[in-house]
Amino acid sequence: MADQLTLYGRTFSSRLLLGTARYDSPFVLADAVRAANPAMLTVSLRRQLSGSKDSGQPLWNLLRETSRTILPNTAGCLTASEAVRTACMARELFETSLIKLEVIGDEISLQPDPFGLVEATVELVRLGFEVLHYCTEDWVLCRRLLDAGCEVLMPWAAPIGTGQGPRNATALHELRKRPPEIPLIIDAGIDLPSHACQVMEWGFDGVLLNTAVSRAVDPVRMAGAFAHAIQSGRSAFLAGPMVAQNAAVPSTPEIGRPFASAS
Amino acid sequence: MLIVVNGQTHSLAEPHTLAALLRSVAPTPPFAVARNDEFISRGAYQECLLAEGDKIDIVHPAVGG
Repeated sequence: MADQLTLYGRTFSSRLLLGTARYDSPFVLADAVRAANPAMLTVSLRRQLSGSKDSGQPLWNLLRETSRTILPNTAGCLTASEAVRTACMARELFETSLIKLEVIGDEISLQPDPFGLVEATVELVRLGFEVLHYCTEDWVLCRRLLDAGCEVLMPWAAPIGTGQGPRNATALHELRKRPPEIPLIIDAGIDLPSHACQVMEWGFDGVLLNTAVSRAVDPVRMAGAFAHAIQSGRSAFLAGPMVAQNAAVPSTPEIGRPFASAS
Repeated sequence: MLIVVNGQTHSLAEPHTLAALLRSVAPTPPFAVARNDEFISRGAYQECLLAEGDKIDIVHPAVGG
């Protein structure tokens, strides 16, 4: 049976979720999507800038051409009520009940507001949304989000756009052990394909990326590198790594070694 | 009657519905609308009567992470 990622009843062969922001051009974005083969594309909704002719039509056309599952976000929202209103607009605009919930608690670190996340989640679940959070690795917060009806958790590796990689490996390991049946996707803070591979080796179910791809010198090549890394990490997790130990053990048999004294 | 649409003031004849305003502004689809920070669904545009000073937000698809 194929190894697939299941989120809210939807199955995906890819375990990479890709952001659409900060690419140099829509063409680079389109090529990166082809190279990454992502399960989902994250998007936002914004006013048309004064004087601009771009009403999102090029992006809209690209999204339709790629036929990827769309995951709108509530980026920039600072309160639960603001996030819920944004989610409602996103649902009508993108015709999906999926929402990547962001409620920012600190505008410097972009750390999620745990209280706002829970408050917004309760309301969004009541309204029929399928919620994927940008949250921290705090287990109590994650448990509250699961209690509110979430079927997926998306803890950060590090704050958005920092590219620091997994800052709190111990907490992420512990989180992975707590809800073994819940899909866990690392969202934000990943810099290198090796970071993505590492968290997949730890048993995480997917990785959501944006800046690590879009701000690479060659975003298309980097998109492909991440796709391979995530697949490799997943395969390693499924294969089951050996148990590390302190004592050295020769891999080549000792028995029959020439010049060895007979015992 | 003055209405603020995406931060810019528009002068309208009274009475005016949201549907009429959108016909006038003619945003490129797809879009979604909020009135005074409250989401207004597509099906409610015709019944939504605007009032002096209303703030209308029209949003479109945008890139995001």
